[in-house]
Amino acid sequence: MHKPATLFLILLLFFCAIPSSSYGEASRRIISLAPNITEILFSLGLGDRIIGVTTFCDYPEEARKKPKVGGMWNPSLEAILNLKPDLVAVSTNGNHKEFEERLRSMGIKTYIFTARRLSELPRDLREAGQAFGAGQRAEVLAQEIEATLSRFKKPAPLRKKRVFFIVWPDPLVAAGPGTLIDDVLNLLGAENVAGKARVSYPKYSIEELLRQAPDIIVIGDMREGIQKMSEGLLKRLKSVPAVKNNKVFYIGDDLYRLGPRTPKGIEDLSRLLGDKP
Amino acid sequence: MKLKIFFVIVIFFFSFGLSLFWGPSVINPFNLDETSREILLSIRAPRSVVALLMGMALGASGAVLQGILRNPLADPYVLGISSGASLAAALGILAGASVFGAVTVPLFAFAGAIATGAVVGMMGWNRGVIWPERLLLAGVGLSFLFSALLMLIMSISADEGLRRAILWIFGDLSMSDWTRVPYGLVLVAGGLAIPIVRARALNALVLGDEFAHSLGFSPGKERLLLFVSVGFLTAASVSLGGMIGFIGLLVPHIMRFMVGSDNRYLVPVSALSGGALLCFADLISKSILPPMELPAGIVTAIIGAPYFLFLLRRKNVLSL
Repeated sequence: MHKPATLFLILLLFFCAIPSSSYGEASRRIISLAPNITEILFSLGLGDRIIGVTTFCDYPEEARKKPKVGGMWNPSLEAILNLKPDLVAVSTNGNHKEFEERLRSMGIKTYIFTARRLSELPRDLREAGQAFGAGQRAEVLAQEIEATLSRFKKPAPLRKKRVFFIVWPDPLVAAGPGTLIDDVLNLLGAENVAGKARVSYPKYSIEELLRQAPDIIVIGDMREGIQKMSEGLLKRLKSVPAVKNNKVFYIGDDLYRLGPRTPKGIEDLSRLLGDKP
Repeated sequence: MKLKIFFVIVIFFFSFGLSLFWGPSVINPFNLDETSREILLSIRAPRSVVALLMGMALGASGAVLQGILRNPLADPYVLGISSGASLAAALGILAGASVFGAVTVPLFAFAGAIATGAVVGMMGWNRGVIWPERLLLAGVGLSFLFSALLMLIMSISADEGLRRAILWIFGDLSMSDWTRVPYGLVLVAGGLAIPIVRARALNALVLGDEFAHSLGFSPGKERLLLFVSVGFLTAASVSLGGMIGFIGLLVPHIMRFMVGSDNRYLVPVSALSGGALLCFADLISKSILPPMELPAGIVTAIIGAPYFLFLLRRKNVLSL
C-alpha cells in the first residue's frame, strides 16, 4: 500500500538530485552572504538572479537595492527561507561554517567560495564560472586578474619600501598578515610594516609604529570622516618619514574585498607607492 | 600602618616609572635618541598619567560606594553610570560627531555619565535623603536598560565605527594624549577631595545611619555629597578610557585586607593602588605581544583576581 508512494518519493528525490550536480546553472534564485561574493556574481552577469544580499553588500549600486538577509556573521535564517532561494553562496572567509551546514540540513543548496589569498582568486573565479554556467565571463575576469598579477609582480628591490596600511585610525588598527592588502604589498615588492603581527587586523602600538618608521602610510578611506579622524593620529606620528615627507595617502575600499575590483585596487596602490606599472 | 601606606606609595611611583621606561622596547633615559624621546614624552608619559588617573578614580570611587551603600558588591559600574557613558559615547562615535575634535567622544561619555548619575540619584531620592537600596536598585535597572539600548544600536548598525565603539567600551588607553590629562586631573582631584575630607562621616555611615546621626553627621546629606563625588570620579574614568572592570570592585577589598576599614586610609590607598594596578596592567597589555596591544581590562582582571582569591582564602575576613 505504501510502496508506490515510497517509490515515487525515491524517484522524485532522484530527479531532484540530478540538476544539483550542474549546480548553480539551474539556480534562478541566489542569495549571497558576503560582499565580495555579491561583487563576483554581479561581474559574472548573474546580478538579476540575486534575490538577497547582506547589509554589507554595497557594491555595485544595484546590490544596495536587493533585499537584505542580515550581516555576514549573523544572517537571518528566516529571512533566507522566506526568500525561497535555490542556492545560497557563502564564503569560508567570513561566514560561519555551522551556518552553511544548517542551510544544507534544511535542504538548501550552497555554493562555497574558498579563496582567501590573492593567488587563489583566479581559480575561485573559474570554479564559480563553471558552477554558475558563466564560464566565459569568469575566464575573462580570471585572465584579467592573472595579467594584473604578472604585470605588477616585481623582483624584490634592493631596499624595499616600508609601507604601513591603516584600516582604522582611532584606535589604530593595521592590515596585518594574511590579508589581501598584505598580499598586494608583497606583490608590489613593498614591505608590510604590520606583516609580522600575530593577527590579521592587529590593534597596533603607536610607539612601535614610531620606531618602525614606515616610508609610506596608506589609510583605507572606506567611510566618511576617516580623514578627519586620522588628523590626531598623524599629528602624533609627525616624526615618521612617511608623514615628514608627505607620503600619507588615502585609498578607496577596493582592496578590502577579494573580487573583481581587486585589480583596480592593485593599480591604485601601485600608483601611490610611486611605481610605474 | 605607616609602613604599609608608604609601601603603596612606593608601588605607585614604581609602576609609573616602570611604564615610562619599559614597554614594547626598553628606553634608556640616559641615552635618548630622537625617536625614544618622542615616544617617552608624547606617547608613554600621557598614557601612563591617564592610566594612573583612571585607576585612581576607579579605586577610590569603589571604596566610597561600598561604604555609602554598605554593600561589598558595589562598584562604580553597578550604578549604571558607566553604561550611560558607554551608550552616549557609542552614539557619538556612530553619529560620527567631531564637533569638539579629539575630545568629542570623552565629552559625550562624560555627559552621559553625569546625566545617568543624576537620574540614578533622583530615583534613589526620597523624603529628602538618598536611600542606599533604592540607589542600588535604580542603578541596576538603568544599567540593564542602557546595556540593552547599546546592544540594540550595535545590532542594527552595519557601521565600521562599531569596531571603535567596542574597543572603547572594553577600555582603551592607546589614544591617550596630553589633551585628556588636564580635565582628568581636575575631575579626579576634585572627586577625591570630597571623600578624603569627609572620611569620618563615611566611617560613620558604614556603621549605620543611627550611629552616624548620634555622632552628629546627617546621613542623608553626607551620602548625597559622597554620591556626587563618586559620580564625578566614575564619569572621569569612563571618559578617560572607557570601561575597565575589577579595579572598582576588588581593589578596595584588597586594600581592606591590608590597611583595614578606616576610610581615612582606605580611600587614598585604594586610589593609589588602583592607579598603580591599571598603569602596570596597561604596561603588560602593550608589551606582551608587540606590536599588538591587548585591552588593559583583560590584564587587570588576570593579575588582580587570583591575588584577591588568594587573600580571601588566607585572611577569611570580609567586612566593610
